[in-house]
Amino acid sequence: MKRRGVSTMLGVWLLTAAIVCPQIKAQGNKPEPPMKLKVGDVAPDFKLQYFDGSDEKDVSLSQYRGKSNVVLAFYIFAFTGG
Amino acid sequence: MKAFQQNLKKLEAADTQVLGVSMDSPFANKAFADQIGVTFPLLSDWGGDVTRQYGVYVDKYKAARRINFLIGKDGKILEEQIDRDAIDPKKIVDACERKKLSR
Repeated sequence: MKRRGVSTMLGVWLLTAAIVCPQIKAQGNKPEPPMKLKVGDVAPDFKLQYFDGSDEKDVSLSQYRGKSNVVLAFYIFAFTGG
Repeated sequence: MKAFQQNLKKLEAADTQVLGVSMDSPFANKAFADQIGVTFPLLSDWGGDVTRQYGVYVDKYKAARRINFLIGKDGKILEEQIDRDAIDPKKIVDACERKKLSR
């Protein structure tokens, strides 16, 4: 009886592992979501602020139109690497 | 951001303005800029409207993905660098320099 209990437990474990493991693997391999904006698309205009040490300054994308290229570098949080 | 700062002279010489964007407050971004020695603006997208508009908002982190866009003078996107590829901006710096040469 005791041996049967052990093998049942083992069976349950293996079954659980068989169900859970591929899901974990699938999560790890999940492809990154595709980009909404693609090369060649018009970048949407925006107006955002930054603090220059004394004032908050407005910056819009359209102010650079016809004048300079713009690198828009989105980052996750301040005080993180990169 | 540091990598862009290191390449700032090259980018400016190629008529390129660098703008960082995150969902932090303007004051947190200024403190961050001072700490890492960044001299270009770090824009505050408080609330994330622009981050969503550009399709780079991640629900899970309530923050932006790490994405670099190079936008031309005509307002169109010339290059994109996504997630881990966005850490080293070489592709964008090279593209700017190529564009400068081909002018």
